[in-house]
Amino acid sequence: MASRKKVLLKVIILGDSGVGKTSLMNQYVNKKFSASYKATIGADFLTKEVLVDDRLVTMQLWDTAGQERFQSLGVAFYRGADCCVLVYDVNNSKSFDTLDSWRDEFLIQASPMDPESFPFVVLGNKIDVEEGRRTVSTKKANTFCQAKGGIPYFETSAKEAINVEQAFETIARQALAQEESTDFNSEFPETIPIDIPNDSNGCSC
Amino acid sequence: MAKQEPPPSPPSPTASFYDMSDDEEDDYNTIKHAKSGRGVKLLFSKSKVYVHPSPSSKDNIPGFIALIQQKSPAQTSANRPTSSSSSKTIASSSLLLAWVPESSLGDAYDTYVKVDLSDSDSPPKQKYLVPPPPTTTSHSSAVGTYAFAVPISEVFSLLVRPPSLGWWFGSVVINTRAGDSFPALFFHDSECQSTILQRKKLARESFDISSDGGGMFWGGDEVLRWLKRYVTVERSGVDNTVYLIEPSNADKVGFGGKPASPEPGQSVPEAPAGAAKSSAGGAPFPSRRDGGMDPVTKALKEARWNFLEKLSQVTTFTRRTAQAVAENPKMPPQMRRLMRNPEVQTIQEEFDSARLYLARWAMGIAEQSERERSQRIWTAKDVLEMEESEVGDFEILDMEVGNMSMADKRKPVMMDEWEKWFDMSGRLQITPDEVKDRIFHGGLDPEDGVRKEAWLFLLGVYEWNTSRDERQVKMNSLRDEYIRLKGAWWERTAEGHVTLEENEWWKEQKMRIEKDVHRTDRHIPLFAGEDIPHPDPDSPFAESGTNVHMEQMKDMLLTYNEYNKDLGYVQGMSDLLAPIYAVMQDDAVAFWAFVGFMERMERNFLRDQSGMRRQLLTLDHLVQLVDPKLYLHLQKAESTNFFFFFRMLLVWYKREFEWLDVLRLWECLWTDWLSSNFHLFIALAILEKHRNVIMDHLQHFDEVLKYVNELSNTIDLQSTLIRAESLFRRFQRMVEAIDKRSNFPAPSVRQRKPTPASPTESNANGASSGADAAPQPKRQSVGDAVAQGIGLEKQKIISPELRSLLSRKVEKLDKAELKEHGGGVT
Ligand SMILES: Nc1nc2c(ncn2[C@@H]2O[C@H](COP(=O)(O)OP(=O)(O)OP(=O)(O)O)[C@@H](O)[C@H]2O)c(=O)[nH]1
Ligand SMILES: [Mg+2]
Repeated sequence: MASRKKVLLKVIILGDSGVGKTSLMNQYVNKKFSASYKATIGADFLTKEVLVDDRLVTMQLWDTAGQERFQSLGVAFYRGADCCVLVYDVNNSKSFDTLDSWRDEFLIQASPMDPESFPFVVLGNKIDVEEGRRTVSTKKANTFCQAKGGIPYFETSAKEAINVEQAFETIARQALAQEESTDFNSEFPETIPIDIPNDSNGCSC
Repeated sequence: MAKQEPPPSPPSPTASFYDMSDDEEDDYNTIKHAKSGRGVKLLFSKSKVYVHPSPSSKDNIPGFIALIQQKSPAQTSANRPTSSSSSKTIASSSLLLAWVPESSLGDAYDTYVKVDLSDSDSPPKQKYLVPPPPTTTSHSSAVGTYAFAVPISEVFSLLVRPPSLGWWFGSVVINTRAGDSFPALFFHDSECQSTILQRKKLARESFDISSDGGGMFWGGDEVLRWLKRYVTVERSGVDNTVYLIEPSNADKVGFGGKPASPEPGQSVPEAPAGAAKSSAGGAPFPSRRDGGMDPVTKALKEARWNFLEKLSQVTTFTRRTAQAVAENPKMPPQMRRLMRNPEVQTIQEEFDSARLYLARWAMGIAEQSERERSQRIWTAKDVLEMEESEVGDFEILDMEVGNMSMADKRKPVMMDEWEKWFDMSGRLQITPDEVKDRIFHGGLDPEDGVRKEAWLFLLGVYEWNTSRDERQVKMNSLRDEYIRLKGAWWERTAEGHVTLEENEWWKEQKMRIEKDVHRTDRHIPLFAGEDIPHPDPDSPFAESGTNVHMEQMKDMLLTYNEYNKDLGYVQGMSDLLAPIYAVMQDDAVAFWAFVGFMERMERNFLRDQSGMRRQLLTLDHLVQLVDPKLYLHLQKAESTNFFFFFRMLLVWYKREFEWLDVLRLWECLWTDWLSSNFHLFIALAILEKHRNVIMDHLQHFDEVLKYVNELSNTIDLQSTLIRAESLFRRFQRMVEAIDKRSNFPAPSVRQRKPTPASPTESNANGASSGADAAPQPKRQSVGDAVAQGIGLEKQKIISPELRSLLSRKVEKLDKAELKEHGGGVT
């Protein structure tokens, strides 16, 4: 175990079913896109080590099912999140319209210390699809993000790997800042006590 | 296989020395044990042979297995045979096979160690006398101390399980002629000095790679070797883990020799397929374990075994360990490459993933070895004897039920067997329970089309008591109905919906189905193609195209959405439909079969998730009752929401097993043979299988979740089914015992006789009524410790959730409930 402090950043990815959450995550972590990912059932996460300004951090990216009714059981792992990513499909207005309720739901369930400053990032996915199908304009999305206190916004394609790296770099940065701001509460001990039965603050979930 | 055979007869100098001096009974009484006036002769012993009385390794008791010679009652030094040209003249009744705990030995401990370490090729030149251990002929009389000594003449057979590639300790179970079994003795070879020395020696001596040398040698081999010096030991041809001791002719016919002619799919005692053909095919002792393996495979296996043995000793995977392992020149190149893999290196640095990774990997190799093993048909005994039953003694299910052996029952039902069950008019001639019993245990043949027919019964499309003509009539009207339902939504897509809200809902559902079908089982050839243009130019899949089966899937799901508006289509349903459609390949038939399936699955998809919550809660209760230690651990890991089973329960393991296994699993579950919630016992079986890894390595919810998610496609179905059945029986008996105690405070009496019918206590509680209660086949049990174990369960109570597990009746939602919680359009 390294003696220096390990940082684990917990990131939750939310958005309607089929907007491409699983695809984005896999594009970022595994650098590939497959047209045959299955619809997500339950929850899963991927981890990735990244350097943020010379700091080595581990990102834990949580992927959940998009259909609303499946959220009610999954809220357990919203807690302790350092950043929340809201994804919509630029070719599907409905998925954009629901962003607000995804955000509200997250804030209620995760109940972060300071909801006002809790970092979100919005991703408008599937920009590779032909222009004619697009139903949500960049302007519209930007307006929304401004109104919510300046949420960073990226237009991405999981399929063509457009902007995915950049978006997640910002996500990592936001999450790290959030983590450090809540650091005093020692969300994470210096090292994981392997032999000692872990007490409640040893678990970030 | 030199060491399995009896040692070569003369002209070996050792053998002749041995014959002439060692088994002579002269001077029998010259060396007496210090304390007791009388002693018995210790012929062989082996140290670090453990009894594992509880799931916790802390409770393991180290001891010696020993071969002891006592004075035969009928034989005095006066009339003993004078020229013993063969050691086998010693009466088997004067030989004892014993196990004694180290702690009980006192002064004799040194003697046991000395005998253990003396060169095993020749028995001790000196006679070592030790105090006689208590002689027993059944396990029950030895309860408490575990120590036993059983006359060889009373031993019927030994169940010998070699160590499994580093995951399990090798073990030996002694079965007596009276039908009793002693607790399994586990050989902790890595602690046993004599085994280590013998291994080294064998490795030095065996230059010939084809001989069974070095790595795989284990303590149990030694025991068999000693025994063969004195008695006839014959390996059963029926079950190659069984060694018969002094078998009678009748035994030989019944259990010995070779099976007449192995039918396809029947027990194959040879090495896994893909290995080189065994040369020992016709030998009376079929080559053991790896006998049929080619040398390269074997060498790899042995190296892997040694490696894993080391690995299993480290509880925390450190970078240094990994480095040392990677540097080890003995390491197979594949393994070395794996360890140097950058991904693995990264993982080592990550505090939480390291444990997870180690756990997953160790288990992966165990699974692989299990798959190799499962080239043959499993019996309950295989599974239960192979796995150190960590939740205590498993019950061995009866091998003979009705007039069909369990092995036969575990063979799939073929079309001709199925057809024989019906009379001329196509009416079932046997009881539905008999059919279900068969399908539960054996499944249906995947290829001959019997599923197409049988699933319609299992899913309630056809009643069991109908004639062929009646079914034809029913199917005709169902086809009409399907066309009508399909037409209804089809029309509305053209004409629009009554309300705007309904219109929205409809569009959304259509989109959802569209997206999900294109993400469902596309690796199955049936659904893989994109060979026809998409009918809807507005679909996101318009460019990529579609195929007729995906289009059929969409139609069926939209029709279901129409048929059950209270619920509508919910994600996960496409996973449930795909296998049914693939088997039926007829949309109307598949639709109604799916409707039948959905009746029991509806509760999984409710808007408020109450059905899923209830199942997760039931699982929580079940683990708490059956494996409280594991439960405590999960509690510490904040994992008792059991959310990590969500996916498995929602779509019935569709994502965890391979396609063909899913079909087999579902038809098994559809029978409701033991419980209409048998899927929860599958969950328990999976959990139990991994409980050690979970308890040793996983400490947080996220680790548990990740580990369980990644079990996907690694789980062996057949052994899981058997374990689940056994766990169900265990659960059933726990409930009975607890009920019994609360009804009569009298001490519980061990019940060894078959129970003809379900006892009435459980019925009195209302959860299961006569017809619904699970059938109870007669059974034998090893140690019967379940009944004893529950003596400790005094404080336990059976929640209504748990009690419902005993019912075979499928819980279906009523219409009102569905309307309220369904979250559909109505
Ligand atoms: N053209 C295009 N298609 C995409 C892109 N990302 C995802 N998709 C497709 O959109 C569909 C849904 O993608 P997923 O990643 O499974 O969506 P999800 O958000 O994880 O969905 P749920 O698991 O149901 O919540 C799939 O058919 C993907 O192939 C993208 O960037 N471009
Ligand atoms: Mg997904």
